[in-house]
Amino acid sequence: MSAPLKWLSLAAIALVFAGLYARALDAPQPEGFVPPHGAARAASPKPWYKAQLLPSSTQSVHSATAAELRDGTLRAFWYGGTREGAPDVAIYTSVYSPKDGTWSAERAVMTRELAQRSLSRSIRKLGNPVAGRDRSGRLCLFFVSVSVGGWAGSAINLMTSEDEGETWSPPKRLVASPFFNISTLVKGAPLLLSGGTLALPVYHEFLGKFGEMLRLDGEARVIGKTRLSWGASSLQPVVVPRSDSDAVAFMRYAGNPPGRVLLSRTGDAGAHWTEPVKTALPNPNSAVGSVLLAGGPLVLAFNDAVADRESLSLALSADFGNSWRVARQLEGESVSPRAPVSEYSYPWIMQDRSGDVHVLYTWGRSRIKHVVFNRAWLEGGR
Amino acid sequence: MNALFGLSGCALLCLAVIASSVRLDGRAIRIRYAILVAAAILLFVPVGGLPVVAYVRGVTGDLSAATLALAAGTLVSCFTGRAVVEPRERNALLWAVAAASLFLYPFALGWTPFDPYALGYGSPVFTTALLLVTLAAWRAGLKLVVAVVLLGALACLVGLYESRNLWDYLIDPLAFAYALLKPAAALVRRRAVGGELAA
Repeated sequence: MSAPLKWLSLAAIALVFAGLYARALDAPQPEGFVPPHGAARAASPKPWYKAQLLPSSTQSVHSATAAELRDGTLRAFWYGGTREGAPDVAIYTSVYSPKDGTWSAERAVMTRELAQRSLSRSIRKLGNPVAGRDRSGRLCLFFVSVSVGGWAGSAINLMTSEDEGETWSPPKRLVASPFFNISTLVKGAPLLLSGGTLALPVYHEFLGKFGEMLRLDGEARVIGKTRLSWGASSLQPVVVPRSDSDAVAFMRYAGNPPGRVLLSRTGDAGAHWTEPVKTALPNPNSAVGSVLLAGGPLVLAFNDAVADRESLSLALSADFGNSWRVARQLEGESVSPRAPVSEYSYPWIMQDRSGDVHVLYTWGRSRIKHVVFNRAWLEGGR
Repeated sequence: MNALFGLSGCALLCLAVIASSVRLDGRAIRIRYAILVAAAILLFVPVGGLPVVAYVRGVTGDLSAATLALAAGTLVSCFTGRAVVEPRERNALLWAVAAASLFLYPFALGWTPFDPYALGYGSPVFTTALLLVTLAAWRAGLKLVVAVVLLGALACLVGLYESRNLWDYLIDPLAFAYALLKPAAALVRRRAVGGELAA
């Protein structure tokens, strides 16, 4: 190398690394959680409970998610098609009106063809959607897509809506893995952080099974991440904060028996997480849902069995996950009607602004079921 | 814009593979041009609503500076019939890619709480380590290693791809596989030649 070229290259190194250091020093600072809303109306003392199946035109549906809209209605999303993983699987949506107690007709918001055109890459199938809101109040819809292989080949995409889900931006790809960006999936709700960024619980399934918390900037780019667990037995994290620093994460357990719901905690707003421990609640390698009701308690929706998904229950914890009481059974031997395929899974649980609690879940793989109840019903169980 | 750069990178890789597969250097210069232009056009022909190269991108994602440098070197070598990168430089890059990959990939599989991939979002420690490696390469006159680091870092700073992680701009599993397979293939070839001579 000639001497001028050599010194020129050294100058280039200095410039580029100055940029890298500036980027590193400008990295987003740690932010606190935004604890759940506490403005829920006083619950009605009279217990009530309603259940219904959502409209569906597809043979198979799975993995429901929902967000409350500004007008107090609820918009749900799920994926449906001829079967899980089929090329015709699309992400569908429907809106629930609490006033009428009815769901609108379903419509597709994302198809495989639309996803691959928007993302400029081949897409073989679509998977789990997850709904949330960003700091500017836009509705966010994360969804899984696969280009090659099975679910271990997944990546996460995000699209946003300025009009409460009527129209959507083109999806953007989140990059969260160094292995061709494969093997990142989503199931738990995103959390808004105090500085305006989003925290998204995700999990990986490539040669291992473990959870992580991604941090996204306002342009939906991954700007950091923290490991929630490690190894090959924990997935589908659901994170529930109770203050700006404290949160608990629940995970599906995919390890050796006995199957139990996994729990991890953070006391520094997600910068560090404790090693996951088994709770007393069973887990047949299935997803769980959780929400901290305004003023407590913590509620967990889970399959109350170690070997199958034939029952779905709600457990309450007054001490933020240390001890549990199974309060209600949503599905099981004693609940009718039973689905043709006795599988009740992938619960999504949330509390709306009026204080009512909604649970959406896969009902026999053929329908999404919605149950809504008040606190009096929940706490009045066994 | 991210998609354009991503697709272009995949197209470069495809052209390098095609050029080395059809032994371009043994053909007339006009034929070489014709093959490459035809291949480049075919890569962007829509099939099922997507250009062919988008299917490659679906599998590989966006390619790192290391892979693109190796692909560009292969393409130019195949086209001109001359090695554009000295073996010493190329081997140094492959060693660097292999070492970085062995640090990154096993831990990124989630077997331990430590996640080196997270360092790529903007860690002063990672930046300092990379600076030291780059300065060592500069001092040793390893221009290719320096160029790959600088191009990758620059691309990351301007946000050329969807990723904000510096690792994604420096290395990828394709470069790692090539770094492992190339010396292995050379060893097999050397043994085969040695066997023939002995016979």
